[in-house]
Amino acid sequence: MATEYFLRMGDGQKIFMTKEDILADIEAGCADAADLGDIPALSEDEMDHMLDIITAPGRIVGVEPGLEVPVTHDIGAIRIDGDQGNSGVGIPASRLVGSMVHERAFGADTMELGHIDYSFKPVKPVISQEQQTMEVCQQNMVIPMLYGAMPNMGLYYTPDGPFENPGDLMKAFKISEAQDSIQHAGDHGIRDMVWIMQKLQKVGSDGVNFDTIGAAGDGDMYASLNAIEQLRKEFPNMYINAGMAGELVLGMHGDLEYDGTRLAGLWPHEQVLLAEKAGANTFGPVCNTNTSKTSAWNMGRSVTFTKAAVEASNIPCHADMGMGVGGIPMLETPPIDAVTRASKAIVEIAGVDGI
Amino acid sequence: MGKRWGICLSASAPTTLSIFYKSLWDCHRIVFKGGFKTTNEELFKTLSDAVVSCKKDNVIAAVEKAKGQAPAVELIDNGLAAGMNEVGVLFERGKLFLPHVMMAADAMSAGVEMLQDELASGEGASTKLGVIVNGTVEGDVHDIGKAIVSTMLQAAGFEVHDIGRDVPVQNFIDKIKETNADMVGLSALMTTTLQGQKEVIELLKENGMRDSIKVMVGGAPATDAWAKKCGADCYAENASEAVAKAKELLL
Repeated sequence: MATEYFLRMGDGQKIFMTKEDILADIEAGCADAADLGDIPALSEDEMDHMLDIITAPGRIVGVEPGLEVPVTHDIGAIRIDGDQGNSGVGIPASRLVGSMVHERAFGADTMELGHIDYSFKPVKPVISQEQQTMEVCQQNMVIPMLYGAMPNMGLYYTPDGPFENPGDLMKAFKISEAQDSIQHAGDHGIRDMVWIMQKLQKVGSDGVNFDTIGAAGDGDMYASLNAIEQLRKEFPNMYINAGMAGELVLGMHGDLEYDGTRLAGLWPHEQVLLAEKAGANTFGPVCNTNTSKTSAWNMGRSVTFTKAAVEASNIPCHADMGMGVGGIPMLETPPIDAVTRASKAIVEIAGVDGI
Repeated sequence: MGKRWGICLSASAPTTLSIFYKSLWDCHRIVFKGGFKTTNEELFKTLSDAVVSCKKDNVIAAVEKAKGQAPAVELIDNGLAAGMNEVGVLFERGKLFLPHVMMAADAMSAGVEMLQDELASGEGASTKLGVIVNGTVEGDVHDIGKAIVSTMLQAAGFEVHDIGRDVPVQNFIDKIKETNADMVGLSALMTTTLQGQKEVIELLKENGMRDSIKVMVGGAPATDAWAKKCGADCYAENASEAVAKAKELLL
């Protein structure tokens, strides 16, 4: 009987597979990405290396010495305190304490301050509190401290915002009205994001992390890229990370462009070029996990997309690795065996500059 | 032409030849198109491409040009509907998106509308294959897929009564009685509204009508297994399959 190895499904379920079956899944995931993105598949050596990583005997794995990369943590400031199903550990601690624990105990290379809602729009009414907390963090910490939030353009549409919901308009065949609504929401979002970061830069923020760009489709990316462009002009030395929401920019508008390039339908290796053009310092490629596929399939797909982005990019790529992205199972607190294997593969095979 | 020929000669002989032959072929196609009737394959391709362009003007122009050159049913089935299928494939692959699909569907509807007269007077118009009531169940506002199915059924020779979207259960019963329908098509795009298909079937039973009518279900969450479970006669995955299944059950 062939030896079987322990791995995961995309939903976290434990499974056992033979080496041949694991390799077949790696190849299939890789081929899917290559087909969709029109990008090169991984080489046989790279797929064999991924197989070695997945079948390594230890519960956790790590990169080879010398291949270590900078590591940071989104919204880590509330990760210690939070305990409402958001992967926090429920230890009463301020956001300052949370950030300092990450800096001094966990070895984070940068950190970010995040609001409990983690979207830009709801920060507006509490901007003074965010400014005060950012200032205190900057006074107590050494590592770069950014401000992080999601563009989350969904909050600008009814019933949460002032603009008519494009989903409702689309259903009624009011296509141009839906596109106008997305455009207006995008323009409003640009103003909000720039205004919020102007306030935080005043109190010494080292920069901003745009987290989950494109979550609400191409309007979301349109707003983010334009906000990045404006911030770069106003703050030449500000540190800007453009982190994506998924491997594909969905076309809710369909025809929005940035610098002459249509945003809908862009894959990571195309997204990074626009982030760079807008003025981002680093780019966060993302590949969503398919919960019905194995971690071998998901890692094959994720690493293929990410490697193409790294090769196309002139700025450092810091891959988003966590629940439901990067080949890691979709669990609130993902299992460490899967997290370390996907992370090792994304560094050693895709060649990312950070996580 | 002469200038390009000269440049090519001095640059690369193979390239020159390929361009020359391509030019000859282009000329041949132009003459062929101008002097003779365009082939059906070209007609269908033009219609299909027009739908894929997602522009209503293109579709209207293509249908205007194609009218009378092939039966309306074929223009719809092999041209417009084929284009809509291509739009679906491009949507799946992240090349086209929701607004484009909506625009393509809208453009296709305009094209079909232009062929209505021919459909009514064409082959199959005098011999109705059957009467079908088609609608999207209550609580579900999705219309496009069901509308395409209605069009295709009509194009195939069925008398179709499309009663729209978000249709109350009783309205299906009333329309079936009114038209003495042979089949009812029930569409649902959401898992939450799928149950509505079963409710219509149950009401048909309560009214003693179930044995005299065939029931077809469709929509993204529907499956063959669901069709069996809810008591439908068949499940159709797309418009073409809906026509095939309807013919299978009614003829």
